Amino acid sequence: MLKTAHNVYKAKKLIKISLEYMDDGNVIKSIRITGDFFLYPEEALDQLESSLIGTEIDRHSIKETIENALQESEPFGFDSESLTDAILGCLKP
Amino acid sequence: MLDRELDKNQKDKFRLSLKFNSIRLLETGFNPASWNMALDEVLLMNCTNDSPPILRLYGWSPPAVSIGYFQSMEEEVNVDKCNDLGIEFVRRMTGGGAVLHQSELTYSFITKSYPMNILASYELICDAVVMCINKLGFRSIYVPLNDILVDNKKVSGNAQTRRNNTLLQHGTILLNVDFDKMFSVLNVPSEKIKDKMLENVKSRVMGLNKTFEEVADKLKVSFSEKFNAQFILDDLTDKEKKDTEKLVTEKYSAHQWNWKK
Repeated sequence: MLKTAHNVYKAKKLIKISLEYMDDGNVIKSIRITGDFFLYPEEALDQLESSLIGTEIDRHSIKETIENALQESEPFGFDSESLTDAILGCLKP
Repeated sequence: MLDRELDKNQKDKFRLSLKFNSIRLLETGFNPASWNMALDEVLLMNCTNDSPPILRLYGWSPPAVSIGYFQSMEEEVNVDKCNDLGIEFVRRMTGGGAVLHQSELTYSFITKSYPMNILASYELICDAVVMCINKLGFRSIYVPLNDILVDNKKVSGNAQTRRNNTLLQHGTILLNVDFDKMFSVLNVPSEKIKDKMLENVKSRVMGLNKTFEEVADKLKVSFSEKFNAQFILDDLTDKEKKDTEKLVTEKYSAHQWNWKK
């Protein structure tokens, strides 16, 4: 079944996550990452959101996907660890 | 070890000083949000290897809220309240947070020559803003990545992007801050914590209580000193004006761009 969840996470800047996921397979169906952070080049965020689709919702898979997607870019205000926490925070009751 | 550190310090010093023969100065007055953001993009994208750097000084009329490239208009802005108050809203091409542009001086600096290191390039340009604020009688400091503080309160926010092998940094220098209006047009997580957030922001943000002209004069002197450059006071070309109008229509006043997220 498709479920939706949201989380607001304070890293060095604010990260807001809107997540759709399949609870049977525990896989990300869609994700929107917004916030007052910086990322160079800016297009890297679209690529990151696309890469996360289909990723299993566990710390290792999410962090690895983020690190791979952001290899050629430079974030300010968050890192792969805090963004992983922000995404996983969607599932906390 | 010492040699290496000296070498690094020398490189840092070199990196943070950059000299231009001249800077093109544009004082474009007070304009609507979509026009302001469109012109910044036009100046960035039309920059050629022969172009001198550009310093643009401007304001916003009517007042406007700008949101960062990665923010959501729906999440950040009370659009109905903006419409009631005659406040415009626009998405920037740069990251960072939502800003109410009402009583401030905004600058843009566009250059083909800049440090590749992002932090160093912020520091380089923000240093000119720090010099300006200090010339106005304050003791300001640059706090990475993008803030300038006086007495631990933010007086200037800055944001940059890179396109076309060119850097654009724009930023605000706050003259006065209407906190109540700010909190009426920017969404807060819940009404319950609104008062607490308002007090928090009041303790962390302040205006310089100077006029636009006072700040503009000192900013020009500071950029001239920082980059050892003479200003060439200039007007927009017909092409720049035409490109800007096109971008206003196609991008900065379009729902597709402003509600991109």
